[in-house]
Amino acid sequence: MATYKIKVNGITKTVEAEAEMPLLWALRDLMGLTGTKYGCGIGSCGSCTVLLNGESARSCQTAISDVGDKEVVTIEGLGGKELHPLQKAWVEHDVPQCGFCQAGQIMAAAAFLKETPNPTDAEIDEAMNAILCRCGTYPRIREAIKAAAKEMK
Amino acid sequence: MKTEVSRRSFLQLIGGVGASFMLGGFATLACGEEGASAQNPFAPNVFLKIDPDGVCTVSIARSDMGQGVRTTLAMLVAEELDADWSMVKVTQAPGDRATYGGMGTGGSSSVRGTNQQLRRVGASARAMLVAAAAKQWGVEPSACRTEAGKVIGPDGKSLGYGALTAAAKAIPIPTDVKLKDRSEFKIIGKPQNRVDNLDVVTGKAVYGADVRREGMLFAVCLRPSVFGSKSETIDDAKARAVPGVVDVFAISSGVAVVASNTWAALKGREALEVKWTEGPTHSTASLREALKAAAKDHHTMPEGAKRLTANYELPYLAHATMETLNAVADVRDDRVEVCTGSQSPDSAQNNVARATGLTADKVEIHNLLLGGGFGRKFSNEWIGEAVEISKRMKKPVQLLWSRECDIQHDLYRPMSEHVLSATLDAEGKPLGFSHQYLQAPGRGNGDYGTNTYLPYEVPSAGLRSAGVPSSVPTGAWRSVEHSQIIVANECFIDELAHAAGKDPFEFRKSILKNERLLKVLISAAEKAQWGKTMPKGSGQGIACFEGYGSRIAHVVEVTVKDDAIRVDRMVAVVDAGTTINPRGVEAQIQGGFMDGIATALYAEINIDGGAVEESNWSDYGWTRMSDTPKMEIFIEDSGGAFGGMGEVGYPSAPAAIANAVFAATGKRVRKFPIRLSELV
Repeated sequence: MATYKIKVNGITKTVEAEAEMPLLWALRDLMGLTGTKYGCGIGSCGSCTVLLNGESARSCQTAISDVGDKEVVTIEGLGGKELHPLQKAWVEHDVPQCGFCQAGQIMAAAAFLKETPNPTDAEIDEAMNAILCRCGTYPRIREAIKAAAKEMK
Repeated sequence: MKTEVSRRSFLQLIGGVGASFMLGGFATLACGEEGASAQNPFAPNVFLKIDPDGVCTVSIARSDMGQGVRTTLAMLVAEELDADWSMVKVTQAPGDRATYGGMGTGGSSSVRGTNQQLRRVGASARAMLVAAAAKQWGVEPSACRTEAGKVIGPDGKSLGYGALTAAAKAIPIPTDVKLKDRSEFKIIGKPQNRVDNLDVVTGKAVYGADVRREGMLFAVCLRPSVFGSKSETIDDAKARAVPGVVDVFAISSGVAVVASNTWAALKGREALEVKWTEGPTHSTASLREALKAAAKDHHTMPEGAKRLTANYELPYLAHATMETLNAVADVRDDRVEVCTGSQSPDSAQNNVARATGLTADKVEIHNLLLGGGFGRKFSNEWIGEAVEISKRMKKPVQLLWSRECDIQHDLYRPMSEHVLSATLDAEGKPLGFSHQYLQAPGRGNGDYGTNTYLPYEVPSAGLRSAGVPSSVPTGAWRSVEHSQIIVANECFIDELAHAAGKDPFEFRKSILKNERLLKVLISAAEKAQWGKTMPKGSGQGIACFEGYGSRIAHVVEVTVKDDAIRVDRMVAVVDAGTTINPRGVEAQIQGGFMDGIATALYAEINIDGGAVEESNWSDYGWTRMSDTPKMEIFIEDSGGAFGGMGEVGYPSAPAAIANAVFAATGKRVRKFPIRLSELV
């Protein structure tokens, strides 16, 4: 066990954990941030996606000891006081069905739009293929990403 | 009656949760967090409460697994109540059959089974609010009308529902209320977004897996890979040495590892050394052979000018809900509390009562949002496991199924073999249709009754079922038996059309006896430009389905290129009778079709040596964003009874894809998922 100080959503948190504990479980079980979801544990579905220094990362594949001083942003901290344009677009386009993968979808989309502010359908496909939605909300995710991209211009 | 404080301590909810997400039943909410405004609510029954601030809270007694019932059912109440939709909130009813009646959510039954009751809830509350206002104004109730959460008097003055809660309580509940004619609907039929969207996109939505309780331990379970085997010897020394592991012990379904966090529990599970007893060594290959050998009992058909026979093979399918099974159980001597997401929370209450020897009223089942269901979350066996573990630990425990447990210990959609034959007369009209439907596991040879699942006019049609024994546990999967029978039927009808030398759309049209289905079929063909010239390697496929009170026709375009099948476009026309929420309908048809693509192209569960070979998303393939075709969905209200929507989008989807593959390649799909090397 070791003590880790990590910055999550702008707040420095101190947790006691085994070095290899994935950030996913540290967030969910030690910090009570349950917006980040477990979907596979092997980096295949992307439900656990968070931002690490602004880049999309699978929290189930990121050991707590590897976080270091990188800033972690989870779905709970994406918007700040206002909703992030992606969150707004998700609501307006009525994207969620069961909703369980949507935190991962939104976090991946946030990282993607930062890199690719004017995405084509093909670019959206390529980037978002990493995040599985079992309900099949993909067409609305695609529309919501385009709407958010417009809004963010 | 519980207080807000106790509910708060039960759920350490993160970052505050809106009233739309409070747990528990109506009684719980009545002393809820709205503070002073909640002190004098008007609550004519367990399904509706109106607070002095005008907020109308509808209690939802069906489970929302993504199909949107929390929105749809609230719309039904709000419509008859003439509520202001922006003032409507929902709360989830606890599993409690004595209070809410049967709560099982499946078979697209929520709207069909409860719409009359819920509309009456709204209508009778409205009548009481009108009577209260009329009394206050000294006018006849018939001189008043209602609109968007207000009663309006004859001279135009108005009172909001919130201002009438105290007075409405004194009005006797009317025994007979008139429901609106559909021409009067203001909320029903208008697209509404889901009530949970904001909570979902901000991470505040609480699923079963998100429940946290003080002192709660985390558990996972190691299960035997071979169905039917049990733990013989357990060497838990290494598991117990994992930091954070608290206890390891056998439970009825395997070996539980209990720890201070999920990661430690998973590491502990990895370190377990368990010797399992031997079990049946079925394989999908041996079961397939057995199914083929069992195909003997056909429906007797008249002979015709032409006779056609085809076998279709469908695999086992896992549900693979995005949220794996989980429950928090807190078993005390005199009561049990469970937090979970179940499609049958009322049965869960009875199951837990039986397992603990308590009466049902001592068992609280808090039913949360379900991260997917598709039929998987009916059986409640995971709740039994959580109860078993908490009882032993004498602490609240969350049991979480890992994805590997989920894929390898599902209640699978059964694998099936379909032997179809038909006879055609000289003009190509069907005379006879025989469908033998064999499943593993399945029951012995038998007639499927009068239901042939055929919407077509065939003078002599019969569906007979049979099966072979198998150790593989099975259960209901989206659209249940239609996921097999309709897929085979709609592929075979396409084969018949070609054997008759007819266009598959025209052939269906000429023999469809169901007028409403015929209407959506014709409409889909028109909207998809059926019969247009397609590029080489591309083709159009068509299929249709009626069931669960709704009808649908799919026209699909695919391209076969570089040894891969790509679905380019889908047109669906849907008739759900009277549509309640068009946006929800569209979502279900999109989702049902994505399941169609997944099961047409990727998903299958294989068994070898009595164990499932697949274990996670990496080998149980599902659709991704790039699989998503252009989807055009048209809702054509027939104005009939409210139809179901969770299932109807699936059955004709894989069939239309398979038929499009034939159009593109000239070769038939006889086996799912489709492999180009296996076309015939």
